[in-house]
Amino acid sequence: MAGGGGASPSCAAVAGWTVTAVLLQVVGLSMFLYGFFPVKPTLPGFSGAESYRMPSCGLAGGGEQPALPPDQLRSLYRELSEVPPVYDRLVLMVIDGLPAEFVLGRVGKPPSKEMVESMPYTQSLLAGCKATGYHAKAAPPTVTMPRLKAMVSGAIGGFLDVAFNFNTQAFLDDNLLDQLHMIGYKLVMLGDETWIKLFPKLFWRQDGVSSFYVKDTVEVDFNVSRHLESEFAAKDWNMLILHYLGLDHVGHIGGRQSVLMPQKLKEMDDVIRRVHNAVSGLEDNLDRTLLVVVSDHGMTEGGNHGGSSYEETDSLALFIGHSVQSSYCSPYDQNEALQVDLAPTLSLLFGTPIPKNNIGVVLPEVFNSLTDQQKLRTLELNSLQFLRLLQAQLPAFCFEDCINSKYGLGIDKIPQSVEKKLCHLLSKAFDSHHPSHLHQTSNVKSIEAGCNRTAVNAYYEFLRYASEWLSHRATNKPFYLLVSAISLMIVSCLSLMGIVSCLLKGKSLSQFEHHSEWNSDYHWHLDEVFIIMGIFLYVSSLGSSSFVEEEQYTWHYLTSTLYLIFLIKTTQSMLRESNSAVARAEGKIFHGNDCSYFTSCKLIPSMRDGYKLCTIIIILVSGRILRAWHQGGVNWVHFPDISKSLAQADSFVVKALQIISVLAVVVLYSVSLLLLRPRKLNILLVWLSHFFCGILVVLHIWQSQINTSLPTKHSTTSIAQIFYVIASISLTFTFVASPWIFPIHSMEAEPTSSGSSPKTAIHLQGINHSMFLIGITYAAFWCLLQLLLQQPINAIPLLLIFLQIISSIMHFSLDKSLHKKWVQIVAMQLLGLSGHFGLGNTNNLASIDVAGAFIGISSYSTVLSGILMFMITYGSPLLLYLGMVFYISVINSDDISTPHQSKWSCILDKMITLPCLLPLLINSIALTSYTIVLLLMRNHLFVWSVFSPKYLYVCAATVCTCAGVFIIAVTAVYTCTVFSFRMRNYKDKSYN
Amino acid sequence: MGDEATQVSASSAVAVHALCFAGIVAAHQLSGRGMLVSNPAYALRLLVVFEAPLVIAVFSLLRRNPKRCSFLKAAARGLLGLPIGAFLNAFGAIVLGAPIGIKYWAATTYWSLLMSLFTFVPAACVFGASKVNWQAVLSHSIYCGSTDSVDYMISAPAHGAVIGAWLGAWPMPLDWERPWQEWPISVTYGSVAGHLIGMAISLALVVTHKRRGRAKAD
Repeated sequence: MAGGGGASPSCAAVAGWTVTAVLLQVVGLSMFLYGFFPVKPTLPGFSGAESYRMPSCGLAGGGEQPALPPDQLRSLYRELSEVPPVYDRLVLMVIDGLPAEFVLGRVGKPPSKEMVESMPYTQSLLAGCKATGYHAKAAPPTVTMPRLKAMVSGAIGGFLDVAFNFNTQAFLDDNLLDQLHMIGYKLVMLGDETWIKLFPKLFWRQDGVSSFYVKDTVEVDFNVSRHLESEFAAKDWNMLILHYLGLDHVGHIGGRQSVLMPQKLKEMDDVIRRVHNAVSGLEDNLDRTLLVVVSDHGMTEGGNHGGSSYEETDSLALFIGHSVQSSYCSPYDQNEALQVDLAPTLSLLFGTPIPKNNIGVVLPEVFNSLTDQQKLRTLELNSLQFLRLLQAQLPAFCFEDCINSKYGLGIDKIPQSVEKKLCHLLSKAFDSHHPSHLHQTSNVKSIEAGCNRTAVNAYYEFLRYASEWLSHRATNKPFYLLVSAISLMIVSCLSLMGIVSCLLKGKSLSQFEHHSEWNSDYHWHLDEVFIIMGIFLYVSSLGSSSFVEEEQYTWHYLTSTLYLIFLIKTTQSMLRESNSAVARAEGKIFHGNDCSYFTSCKLIPSMRDGYKLCTIIIILVSGRILRAWHQGGVNWVHFPDISKSLAQADSFVVKALQIISVLAVVVLYSVSLLLLRPRKLNILLVWLSHFFCGILVVLHIWQSQINTSLPTKHSTTSIAQIFYVIASISLTFTFVASPWIFPIHSMEAEPTSSGSSPKTAIHLQGINHSMFLIGITYAAFWCLLQLLLQQPINAIPLLLIFLQIISSIMHFSLDKSLHKKWVQIVAMQLLGLSGHFGLGNTNNLASIDVAGAFIGISSYSTVLSGILMFMITYGSPLLLYLGMVFYISVINSDDISTPHQSKWSCILDKMITLPCLLPLLINSIALTSYTIVLLLMRNHLFVWSVFSPKYLYVCAATVCTCAGVFIIAVTAVYTCTVFSFRMRNYKDKSYN
Repeated sequence: MGDEATQVSASSAVAVHALCFAGIVAAHQLSGRGMLVSNPAYALRLLVVFEAPLVIAVFSLLRRNPKRCSFLKAAARGLLGLPIGAFLNAFGAIVLGAPIGIKYWAATTYWSLLMSLFTFVPAACVFGASKVNWQAVLSHSIYCGSTDSVDYMISAPAHGAVIGAWLGAWPMPLDWERPWQEWPISVTYGSVAGHLIGMAISLALVVTHKRRGRAKAD
C-alpha cells in the first residue's frame, strides 16, 4: 500500500480514533441514562405506629415494632391517630379510561347534554350535594398498572424502579390495600386482572377479567356486574374493588364520540345507582360504607391513552358517603386534585397509616363529618409522613433544626433554598395549629375559627409545595442534558462512519489496483445497496411501537433477504461461468490463487458451486427453523410454535435433542481440528478437554433431569463448576500457546527461500492457522457453555446458530471475490442479531431467563448472576463475535498473493480493522437513532411499556459489542506480536 | 449472439401488457370487491386461472428463434416453468417467514403460482433453457446494456412484482388489526402493485429504446 497512493490511515491512528469515538459514545449514553431515567430513593417497608409521631433526625431505624394481631393493631392506630375511622366499608369502583370531563365538565362548564343525560343518577348525587368530585390528575404514563399503583400507594415510580423489579409484577411497596389487610380487612376484587398481578395473595375472593381483547365492550363488564347481588348480600368483606374495562375498550374502538359511549355511560351510571342503593339500605351505625368512583386515566379524542395530554390525564375521583354531604356545593367548579391524593385520603378515612412513599395530599371536602381539631390532625399526619419522605430525599433536611432556627427567619424574608422554604412553611403550619389549644380555654368561637382556617391554609401550602417538589423529582426530564447527550452520541456515530468510509475507500483503491483484471466492476452491487437500505428501514421501524415489539420479524426479514440475495448472486456467478469458456479459463487461474486450506484446492468448479449453494440453503433453512422455534413478540405470542410443542411432549424428547446438540458441537469441532493436521500434541489436548467438557454437559443434562424433584442440586452445581474450570483453563491455554506451536516455515517452501516474498507468505499462513485454532475453540467452547446455561428447549436453536455461522464462513471462503469483505462482516452480524431472537429473547423484560443465572453458583452473588444472565441473553451475538476470529483466519489467506506486504502493521490492519469497526458502527447507528426515538417518544402511549425496556436492551447490546470487539482485537494483536517476535528470532538464527 | 432478435414495436408492447392487465382486472371483477381479504385462496385461484393462459399465450408469441421453436413448444416451456417457479417462490416466501400451517397451505400455493406467472413463466416462454438470457434477466444491469425490448418487458414487471411483494410484507407486524394484514393478502397487494409499476417502467424503457434505435439509424 506504500506506493499505491491509498488514503488509508495508519493502524494506530485508526485505533486511536475508534477508542475516542467509543468513549464519546459511552459518555453521551451515561448522560442520557442519567437524565431520562431518574432514580429516586424510596422508603422500604410499611408504615406502622411510628408514622403517627414526629420523626427524629439521625435515628433512621426508629425501632422495629413487634407484629400485632389485627384487632390490636387497629385499636393502636385509632388511639395514636386521634381521628376515629369515618367508614367501615369501602367500595372502590374503577371505570377504566373515563375522563372526568364526562361527569364534571371542564373549567366551570357542565358536561355536554348527552353526557348529563347518560348518567342521570350520578348527576343527581352531585346536584344534591351527596357526592363530591375531583379532576384527579394522573401522572404519565397514563396506562393502567402504574396508575393503580399510584392510587393505592400515593407514589409515582420512575421507570428504572419498575425495570429493576422486572422479575415480578407484584407490588412490594407500602400501599393502602396491604395496610387494610394488616388490620384485618377482607378484600374482594372483581374486574381487571391487573389487580391480581399487583396483589397475588391479598384478596379474600377475586374474579379477574383479561384486558387483552380490546374489542370486547360487553362481556368484560358483565363478568363484573353479575357478582353484585351476591356480594352485597354477603357480610364478610370490608373492601370491594370493581374495575370496569368496557368504557376504555369503547374509547379504543371508536374514540370519545363513539356511538357506544352514551349507553356505556348509562350502564356505569346504573352500577353506581345499584351500589349506592345497596350500601344506603345497609346504612346504620355499624356498617358505614364509602363509595369511591375513580378512573385510572382519561383518553384522547381518538380514545387512546398513555401520554401526558390534558385529555389523557383528566381522571375522575368521585366520593359518595355521609362525610361528603354538605349544605352548599357547586359540582361543576374545576375541583382539581392529584390522583395520588386518593391514597392518604382513604388511609385517614379508614384509620390506617399513610403509605410511606405517598406524595398525595388529603382532600378536605371528604372529611366534613369530622371536628375541626380532627381535620387539623389529618393534615398534621399527612405532613409528618411527608417529613419522613423529605428526609430521605434531602439528607440535610431536619425539622428539629427548623424549630431551633425558626426565629432567625423573618416572615417576609424570601427563602433561598428548598430546605429553608420547607422549614418555613412547616413551622408556620405547626405554629398555627398548636397555639390553638391555648385559645380553646377562652371559648371564643370566632378566634378559634380564624386560627383553624389559618392552620388549614398553612398546612395545605406546605403539603402542596412538598408534593409538587417530590413529584418533579420523579417525572421531570432535563431536556438540555438529553440533547447534549444525543449530540455527543451523534458525533461519535459520525466519527465511526468517517473512519469506516476512509478505510473502505483505501481498500477499494487497493483492490482495484491488484485485481483490476477480474474485478473491473466497481459499481454498487445489489447486496451492498440492500445493506444500506436495510439499515435505513431498521432505523425507521424503531419509531413504531409495533415494530419494536415484533423486532424479531424485522431482523429475520432483513437477514433472510440478504442471504437470498447471496443465493441470487451465486446463481448469477454460476451462469456467468458456464456461459463463457474464456471466463472459465480465467476463473481457473484466479481460483487457483484464491484457494485456502479451509477449502481444498482440488475442488472442481461444479463441486465448488454445489457447496456454495448448499451453504446458503443451510443458512436459510436454519434461519427459518429458528424463526419458528419461539413465537416471540406480543401480538402473536399465543400462536403455536416448536418450543411449545416440545414443552408439551415428553421430557425425554427434549433431553435427546440436548444430547444430540452436544454431540453435534463436539463432532463439528473435531472435524474442524482435522483440517489443521492434528499431529500436534497441544491440539490433541485441547480436543480432549473439549470432549470432556461435552461429557460434563451431558452429565449435567442427565442430572438435572433426575433432580427435578429434589430441592438441592448439589451434583449439578459441581458438574457446572468443573466445566467452568476446565473450559477456562483450556481457552487460556489455547489463546496463549497457539501462536507458539505453529511453524514459521514449512518444509515445502524451504527450497524456494531465495527472496522475502515466500517467507512473508509462509508466516502469514502460520498466523492464519493460529487464529483458526483460537477462533474455532472459542466458538466450540462457547456453544458448550450455552448448552449448559440455556433452557433445555434452546439446544437445537443454539446448534442451528453455530451451523449458520460455519456455513456462512464456508460460503465466503469458497469464493472471496463474490462479496465485498464488509458485506461479509455485516452479513455475519445479522446472523447474530436474528439468532438472538431465535433463542426466545424479546424486547420485553419478562423474557429474560433468570433461572439459568444460578447454574454453577453455590452461593448468591449479584455480580456472578448478572454476568451469567448477560451471557445467556446475548449468547448468539457473542457466539458471532467469537466466530469472527475464526472468520478472520479463513478469509485473510488471500494476502499470500500480495508478496510485498511485509510490515506487521499492515497485516494487523488488514486483519482486524473492518471486523472491529463495522460492528461498532452498526451498533452506534442503532444506539444513536434509538436514543433520538426515545427522546421524541417520551410522551408516547407506550414509552414505559415498549420503548424504555427496548432501550435497556440497546444499552446491553452496546456492552456486548464492545466486549466482542475487544476479544477480537486482543486475539489478533497478541497473535501478530508473538509471530513478529518469533520471526525476528528466526531471522537472527538464520543469519548466524 | 446467434439468436435472431425479434423486434417488438411499442404498440405491441402496450398490447402485451394490456392483455396481462386485463386478466388481473377480469379476475378482480369476477371475485368481487374485498374477496381477497375475506377468502384469499379463492381470489388468488381466480387470478391464476385468468392470468395463466394470457401470460403463456402472449409471451409464447414473443419467443426467441421462432423458426426453430414452435408456439406449442414455447407454451409447453411456460407450463413447465409455472410449477418450478412456484416452488422457488414458495421457498423464498417461507424462508422470509411465511406461515407453514395447514390453514395457509392453499393460499401459499396459489400465491406462489401467481408470482410464478409474474416472474418465471414469461422468461421460460421466451428463453427456454438458455443460460445467457437467464443470466441477463437475473441481473439488474439489463436496464443499462440490453438492446432488446423484450428483455425490458420480462425483467421490469418481474423485478417489480418481487420488490412489491417484499415491501408489502412490512405492514404485517403492525398492530393495526386490519384484516388485510394477514398472509398473503398484503403481500399480494404489494406484488400486483409492483408488477403494474414494472409494466409501466418497461413501456417507458421500450419507448426510449425505440427512440435510441431511430437515432442510430440517422
